[in-house]
Amino acid sequence: MMSLIHASQNRLLASLPQTDLDRLMPYFERVNLELGQVIYEAGCKLSYVYFPANCIISILYMLEDGATAEVAVVGFEGILGISLFMGGETTTTRAVVQSAGYAFRVPASKIKTEFSRGGPVMRLLLRYTQALMTQMTQTAVCNRHHSIEQQLCRWLLLSLDRLATNTLCMTQDLIANMLGVRRGGVTEAAGKLQRAGVIRYVRGRIDVLDRPALEERVCECYFVVKVEFKRLLAEIPPGDPYQVLGVSRPERRDSNPANVQSMATQAKFA
Amino acid sequence: MLTLVPIANRLLSALPPAQYQCLELHLDIVHLSFGEVLYEVDAPIVYAYFPNDSLISLLTQVDDHRALEVGMVGAEGMLGATLALGGQLSPVRALVQGAGTAMRLKATVFQREFKRGLSMQRSTLLYANALMSQIAQTAACNRFHDLEARLARWLLMTRDRVGSNHFYLTQDFLSAMLGVRRVGVSNAANALKVRHVIDYSRGNIEIVDGVGLEALACSCYSKVEDRLEHNNVSLCSASNIDI
Repeated sequence: MMSLIHASQNRLLASLPQTDLDRLMPYFERVNLELGQVIYEAGCKLSYVYFPANCIISILYMLEDGATAEVAVVGFEGILGISLFMGGETTTTRAVVQSAGYAFRVPASKIKTEFSRGGPVMRLLLRYTQALMTQMTQTAVCNRHHSIEQQLCRWLLLSLDRLATNTLCMTQDLIANMLGVRRGGVTEAAGKLQRAGVIRYVRGRIDVLDRPALEERVCECYFVVKVEFKRLLAEIPPGDPYQVLGVSRPERRDSNPANVQSMATQAKFA
Repeated sequence: MLTLVPIANRLLSALPPAQYQCLELHLDIVHLSFGEVLYEVDAPIVYAYFPNDSLISLLTQVDDHRALEVGMVGAEGMLGATLALGGQLSPVRALVQGAGTAMRLKATVFQREFKRGLSMQRSTLLYANALMSQIAQTAACNRFHDLEARLARWLLMTRDRVGSNHFYLTQDFLSAMLGVRRVGVSNAANALKVRHVIDYSRGNIEIVDGVGLEALACSCYSKVEDRLEHNNVSLCSASNIDI
């Protein structure tokens, strides 16, 4: 069984009150995810939701001719598989591991049961869904109006924010797939960033050398998404999603000493 | 009076009678006129709208001027799905693209009813999920499909939602919807006109050959429509759960 310390690696899980987390805990399973691994195919029935710890998962939309474009990324700040609790059994997108690592997964039926209780789990997941929707919307408009270089900068920054290092293991082919552009376009944009001393790119490995320079070159889309997620997470102090989610705390929770205690325990892995 | 107007909105009509009756008292029927702005980005949402025969575009803007339509809301859905997710501010600009009526509900009432009613939750979350698919598809479609095919898709989606082959749209409007310059819209519209699938003059658009237009539209058209159909089926089954 997973320990509390591990669960707190995912920000959504870390934000849940102890009692809610305790109910889910027995069903958690830690899974290692490899670079390029497909977690969901579009149209397939979802069996699990995933809470990433240190990996990044890319959500791709695939057109009929097989062309793909990334519409969102999910890291330690989120959950993969929102269609499950939103009521769709299948997803219209494909999920691919963009940076290897591990995640915690929970069977579909368990997360649905928890969601339908209508408590903190539901509110937290819905709020995350809202932030994810903003990310998708911004990606749509960014795809239309911004240069490949700007989009590459956005993509690099969104990835860095979800990693503990400044290094990404990634081939140009994979980046081209994510961004939905030709490989040549990625090579050109990456070459430009490399010549300017912003990144170093060597065979499947990208080191970001100058993050502030990336932030100068990136389009506003990165900041819009970042602000939305910051708002989501900053507003949710660990252990107390009530405050943020714009809901008044149910009285019986306040008056229950057991709950007050669990809040205090939560504060430990803030 | 409410009872004189048929409720064409499918989210509302799929609600179990008991729950609909709770809502009915709070629903106002409003007329939405072309070009009216219902939501601004980051402004508080005061009302949710359930279109009957009106059509609303969801727009995102970047760089202070360049816009793009990311979703369309008609009788199959609602404007203000953000409220169901716990948000209070609108993430998009909402612009009336097809005049008509809608049922309007105060945001506070919507949120209260959402918390109370299981079928209301089911149907609005299902719809929010479908809307997300639409946004994801827009992101991919914009990346890969050419303007003429996108314009064809857009005209068909509009036709299906307003239920008419004839509508009024300026090129400025279309340029914001499709995220391209006016001259691009003008060229694409001309190309469709030359193929005799539409007629276009001074903002009046008429679809003269729907089948021909479908053949020119990108594959996203049939995908979106299939999904809506699927959603309606799910909605009907969702509405039965707590009767």
